[in-house]
Amino acid sequence: MTDNPTRSQDTILKVSDLSHWVDLANDTLTILQGVSLEIKRGESAAIVGRSGSGKTTLLGLLAGLDVPSQGKVHLDGAEISALSEDQRAQLRAQRVGFVFQSFQLLPAMTALENVMLPLELAGHENPEASARELLERVGLGDRTGHTPRQLSGGEQQRVAIARAFASHPVILFADEPTGNLDNHTGQAISDLMMALNREQGTTLVMVTHDQQLADRCDRQFAIDGGALQEVARS
Amino acid sequence: MTATRKLASVQRDWRERDVRVVLAALVIAVATVATIALFASHLQRTMMTSASTFLAADRQLTAGTGQPIPDTWLAEARERGLATGRMVEFSTMVFGDQGFQLVAVKAVSSDYPLRGDIEWQASPDALREIRQQGPGQGELWVNPRLLRLLEIEPGDTVEVGNLSLQVTGLLLREPDGGFNLAALSPRVMMHADDVAATGVIQDGSRVSFTALFAGEEQTLDAYQNWLEPQLAASHRWRSIRDAEALAGSLEKAEGFLLLGGSLAVLLAAVAVAVASRQYALGQRDVVALLKTLGLTGRGIGRLYFVRLLVWGLAGALGGLLLALPAYWGLAAVLAQMLDQPLGFRLDWTALGPALMTALVALFAFAWPPVYRLRKVPAMRVLRSQPGEGGQYAWLDLLLAVAAIFGLVWWYTGEPGLVVALLGGVAALMLVMGVVGWLLVLTLRKLGGGGGSSWRLALVALYRHRRSSLAQIAVFAMTLMLAATLILVRSSLLEDWQAQLPDDAPNHFLINIAPDDVDEVASFLTARGLSQEAIYPMVRGRLTHINGVPVRQAVTKDEDVNALNRELNLTWMASLPADNRLTAGEWFAPGQREGVSVESELASQLAIGLGDELGFTIGAEVISEPVTSIRTVQWDSMKPNFYMAFPPDSALARMPSTWITSFYLEADQKAAINDFTRRFPTVSVLEVDHIIERIQQIVAQVTQAIEAILALILAAALVVMAAVVSATLQDRQREGALLRTLGGRQRLLVRSTMLEFALLGFLAGLLAVIGAEMALWALQQRMFDGDFRWHWQVVLPFPFISALLLALFGRWQLRPVLTVSPMVLLRRLE
Repeated sequence: MTDNPTRSQDTILKVSDLSHWVDLANDTLTILQGVSLEIKRGESAAIVGRSGSGKTTLLGLLAGLDVPSQGKVHLDGAEISALSEDQRAQLRAQRVGFVFQSFQLLPAMTALENVMLPLELAGHENPEASARELLERVGLGDRTGHTPRQLSGGEQQRVAIARAFASHPVILFADEPTGNLDNHTGQAISDLMMALNREQGTTLVMVTHDQQLADRCDRQFAIDGGALQEVARS
Repeated sequence: MTATRKLASVQRDWRERDVRVVLAALVIAVATVATIALFASHLQRTMMTSASTFLAADRQLTAGTGQPIPDTWLAEARERGLATGRMVEFSTMVFGDQGFQLVAVKAVSSDYPLRGDIEWQASPDALREIRQQGPGQGELWVNPRLLRLLEIEPGDTVEVGNLSLQVTGLLLREPDGGFNLAALSPRVMMHADDVAATGVIQDGSRVSFTALFAGEEQTLDAYQNWLEPQLAASHRWRSIRDAEALAGSLEKAEGFLLLGGSLAVLLAAVAVAVASRQYALGQRDVVALLKTLGLTGRGIGRLYFVRLLVWGLAGALGGLLLALPAYWGLAAVLAQMLDQPLGFRLDWTALGPALMTALVALFAFAWPPVYRLRKVPAMRVLRSQPGEGGQYAWLDLLLAVAAIFGLVWWYTGEPGLVVALLGGVAALMLVMGVVGWLLVLTLRKLGGGGGSSWRLALVALYRHRRSSLAQIAVFAMTLMLAATLILVRSSLLEDWQAQLPDDAPNHFLINIAPDDVDEVASFLTARGLSQEAIYPMVRGRLTHINGVPVRQAVTKDEDVNALNRELNLTWMASLPADNRLTAGEWFAPGQREGVSVESELASQLAIGLGDELGFTIGAEVISEPVTSIRTVQWDSMKPNFYMAFPPDSALARMPSTWITSFYLEADQKAAINDFTRRFPTVSVLEVDHIIERIQQIVAQVTQAIEAILALILAAALVVMAAVVSATLQDRQREGALLRTLGGRQRLLVRSTMLEFALLGFLAGLLAVIGAEMALWALQQRMFDGDFRWHWQVVLPFPFISALLLALFGRWQLRPVLTVSPMVLLRRLE
């Protein structure tokens, strides 16, 4: 991925001295402390850590789902910690894709409609054609009319991946994308995600405790007790 | 369809259970309110038509001055599409071959009666017939009594003034006759166009001209507006509302319908609130995802606003589709009981409240929790966030309560009703709080120990204490509204029953000479007829108040009917049983001075205790201070008086006649003939047909009330079903888990039923307390009856509600028992 000639090696995600805490009734719980990192366009990065280490919170802050208590997050040139919630929503609609552990498909919509949704929100011209193409690409061309309930876990995650890549995001955030799947299916899903990532030249940031999946990424970060450290690759 | 459009589509929403509940609540709300409103409007028209027959028209305009009503007024009415008719009433002598008699003449135009019919007989032995028209020119219909008094037979000729008229039939009943006790002499009816030829009416004759009007209510109102500025003080415009005997019953029936409608509004609001809150809770994940996918807060707000609007339309449409057949059904049932059923008519104005209910229920109850969805943090898509929801609940509640009671106010125009219901709900909430606190306190102590179904039920209640309390609150409120309606219904029916019992007096004897009083009494007693008290009657006018002529003391605006005619004055030693003193003291034995005044007249004339009232009786004037004010049951069918004097007063020295009333069964009618033969000078006023009429109307209204009660109770059941189904998944999951862990079906069934029975008992108990409070307030403000505890409802109610809810619980447990736990758990995932 690093050898993609069409993409310049500029920084797409830059975090400087980020800390995050929540106020409890009579205490303050610090979740993240002094986190800094820089990801280049087209790179793939994995954040690994134990349950409760703060990795999901970090992912939310990186993606602009929330703003940090302290520190700055620059996403594709925009300082998201300075944006309003609605501005962040717009930024997400145009440049960010998501894949979740629990798939997060709208149960009342068909696979096709689930994939079309972000395209329509971002104002794309022909959402249905793009959505069909992507469902075709993830191997669900014949299941477009099915609702999530009629799909297996692996199939649902494939729909979610199609949805994530549908709007050609510059960066994709994945939260334990294989966490709810068996080994075999998880493997297939990560293959698919990596392949699409490569095809579209998307930057990938994922949270996982699947070491195999983490190993397939360009860079790896470990989080422990709210502090982040890059793991040196052999 | 695009995905975003689909986000707001009803078809998509319909797949979600909570939306189905919101929509069902809306549909039921609109259906109930619309059905009630349509039916109430139908009922009102039915009752109006029935009651119109008392006036022989929808409206009457009477001129008491001896001046005819201008033809231009009648022409204007016809121009506006109203039907019109004329009546002239006067007293005169009629002459037969053998003698003469003073009679009360009613001369009617060919259009008479515009409403109702005339009962007529060709001769005393002929069949009774129903006629839609009065006598033709040259004809005279007479009261059967006149045949004896004049010793004439049908076919004979009698002289009315200068005109000879042939007696062509007997007048048995006229639609607008009966209540006017001034008509003491036998009635004869002739054609209005013959009046001039009689030459009886001269300047200064005592004659009253009446114009009759019938038509659409709106047209009548518009005509009244046109007419009113031109009316003189002596003109009197009468509508059905003024037909005293009916007014009370009609108003109470309308009050009940309005109450029913209001309760339907409240029930609907509760259902919508419960379901939409549940819906909003379920939507948080979706909103978080949509935000993650880039939808802005405003976009979310717009999305749900559109969605609510679409629901409102769908709910309104569905409700109306249900309401129309329901209305047709009710009207058809009513039609079976009526002689002259009314056609169906869609009263569009009646649909206003229904649509308004849908809008208010949606935007006051469903919108706040849904609107708050835009505040759901996007981060929730990764993990649920602390401190979501609930913060603004109090403000929401206040707004919602204000909106719903505003709606009830607008709907009924009865602030008293609003206060009563609001008070009931507030009291209920207060008691709820206390009971909830006690519940938590007690249940906590009942932890530990074996696996009995009792303990499981109590533990379940404690574990779900928040939702249990919420459920009790909603159940209690629903049951309270239902109980209020049941209680109001029974007290209303009791009231009517008490007012017009089956043996209510249905004949009046008027004009009894003082010497005949004892003989009349013994005549009645000999035939086993129970006679009401007998009262002397002196006719006189109220002419002065505190020395000022009444015409000056009372302005024209306060046109008081009692001043336009002679009053029947009486003296009595004791207060009649159904009269009630509201001020002052009743006459002491031996008291000579003082007069007791009927309370409504007293307030119309602003008469208080101590005011000197001057009466002109014949040529004499007497003046008495007001010593008491009392209420009178005008619809009791007993002799009633505006003014009563003590037995030793100056009035007792005036020439008087006596009046009484008694009950006569239909098969004893022959007694009347004996009576008139024995006391030819006493007038017998037969009001049995009027009483029958009123009883018939009351029966119709009762039927309608029962139907509406059934409708409301159905709505209440749906609300409860909505609440129970809101927790359905949780409970089913628990049940499945319990079975997976080895719980036996019997234990599960028993503990669930017990849990719901406890819920139901508490809710039922709270409900009757709230209902009694609301009823107390309603009695005070709307139905002005006496408040009584209703033990027969209060005691069984909690048990019935416990049983009902236990069965509900059992019913919702069905899938847990019939499907394998594994299948169920997977389905609920």
